[in-house]
Amino acid sequence: MTPVLAIVTPLAWGFLIPLVYLFRKSLLKWAIPLFEFAIFAITLAAAFSGWRQYTLSFLGGWPAELGIVFVVDKLSAFFLVLVAIGGGGAFLCSYGRLKSGPWRYYVIFFLLQGAMNGVIVTGDIFNLFVFYEIFSLAAYLLVAFTMSWQAIEAGLKYLVMGTVGAFFILLGIAYIFMATGSLNMAILSVSLSQIPKETLTVIAVCLLVGLFIKIGAFPVHFWLPDAHSSAQTAVSALLSGVVVKISVYALIRVSLLFFLEARPNIFAVITAVGVLSVMGGHLMALRQEDIKRLLAYSTVAQIGYILIGVGVGTAAGITAAAFHAVNHMFMKAGLFITAGHITEDMKTRNISELRGLYHHRRGFVVIFTILAAAIIGIPPLSGFMGKWYLMLASVSAGNIVPALALAIGTVLSALYYLRILSAFYSPGDAPPARENPYWPFLVAGAFSVCCVILGFAPFFPPLWGVFSEIGICAMDRAGYVAAVFLE
Amino acid sequence: MTVIRLSYGTAILIFCIGLYTIISKRNLFKTVIGLALMESAVLLLIVTSGYIPGGVPPIIPINGVAVNPLPHAFTLTAIVIGASDVAMALALIMKLHQRYGTVDLDKIRGLRG
Repeated sequence: MTPVLAIVTPLAWGFLIPLVYLFRKSLLKWAIPLFEFAIFAITLAAAFSGWRQYTLSFLGGWPAELGIVFVVDKLSAFFLVLVAIGGGGAFLCSYGRLKSGPWRYYVIFFLLQGAMNGVIVTGDIFNLFVFYEIFSLAAYLLVAFTMSWQAIEAGLKYLVMGTVGAFFILLGIAYIFMATGSLNMAILSVSLSQIPKETLTVIAVCLLVGLFIKIGAFPVHFWLPDAHSSAQTAVSALLSGVVVKISVYALIRVSLLFFLEARPNIFAVITAVGVLSVMGGHLMALRQEDIKRLLAYSTVAQIGYILIGVGVGTAAGITAAAFHAVNHMFMKAGLFITAGHITEDMKTRNISELRGLYHHRRGFVVIFTILAAAIIGIPPLSGFMGKWYLMLASVSAGNIVPALALAIGTVLSALYYLRILSAFYSPGDAPPARENPYWPFLVAGAFSVCCVILGFAPFFPPLWGVFSEIGICAMDRAGYVAAVFLE
Repeated sequence: MTVIRLSYGTAILIFCIGLYTIISKRNLFKTVIGLALMESAVLLLIVTSGYIPGGVPPIIPINGVAVNPLPHAFTLTAIVIGASDVAMALALIMKLHQRYGTVDLDKIRGLRG
């Protein structure tokens, strides 16, 4: 299975939809779910072929030194699965709600999926930037899609911040090109260790500043709560669950390949930003009254957890970060879907007005409770296991401060999630009668079941072996270089 | 050599001016101008990196030493990306202007908190 198909198919579907619309409108009802299913299957197929061995595809038949090469290794395969599942879930929610009406929405949606696959499989740093910008533009459009004033303002804020981040990344790439004359990541991972330390520091600062802005780490996080809370329900779930993880993937890939041996103190910076994000995100979430903004600030904090795992810089740390990334995808996408539908039912987002829902919307509230318990970190749910392994990794690397931040963060998150739950379970009036949405309920339910199952993953060696292999493979720089040069 | 150093320095100076514009100005159009400035600065840097003293255009037949054509391709790609970013920003600002009648960030009731 060639990884090129995982990029070309979604992009082709995106541009086919207008043609299908012009040809026969009634076909769209069948075409759009079929397209999404094809993307899901192809992405998974690319991931599985990359899991067994390094899967390469050379664009135009040029060798890696001259052309663009697409590489799928275990780290990429893992994130491809994450995109397939998260994108599929968000698609079901939006299709259940919008049907095939706004076809422009699906054009952007498929472009987003194609570009995300592109970021994950590419082995060329400039190509990574191009795909990064395609998916960012699609994300800005999806945020602003409803055209309400909040959505437009949040979209503009996201666009300005995201573009500034993108130009920092481009500046870093320009310096890389000037210093080494090459853009292939495998070549760079060898040649970047031979350039002067000061140049490497400048390159690292440019790339990290750009990636931190795109991730939404604490000091530059302020676009994230607006964008994630102003979008529609399914888009919020997609943004918080999947889109942020793509930036995390880019950070893992770039930092491990370029800076692990040549400039290891970069990882201390990543850890420090992670700790700041954990504390800042949780403290800001504490004072939110708007439930979707609260969830968005919680995303900032959870991204901080993942950054702590990346910053450890060992195989155990990367494993824990990947495990927490998939946990957070399930938890936060499910929370956004349930919260979105509850707030649409009640026509308010204010937490103190969302009372009495347990008696009237029992299914949604039970799912929300499971997911909230998971994200707080109550054993044996998956959030606990993710934090446990992050703590273990950072303590065994001799770093106590991130472990303390994790512990304090757990207490803080318990505070604000319990505030929401106490409002849900207290008595109150019924919301106006409305049919129960079917797909969001199913998707959120499936995600909460996944959280429970993933919580038991560490007890089953074959399942946990999958995650530990990701960490080992990500650290194996020599293997990556050898695979790209077909040695 | 001095000319190249001057060009590198100019690029970074323009980049910083663009960043300063985005941070300090409250007018949304000036923010977009800042974005465009940052983009041009990086493009200037990339184009200069392909320069070779006395180089000729890389078109066959080549008489002498050709300049590196790779940065030109990057620049073209990056121009397209930058143009779409700016176009999208202007479209959103137009929508905001239709609603508020102003492009001043202080007068637009922001999403705060």
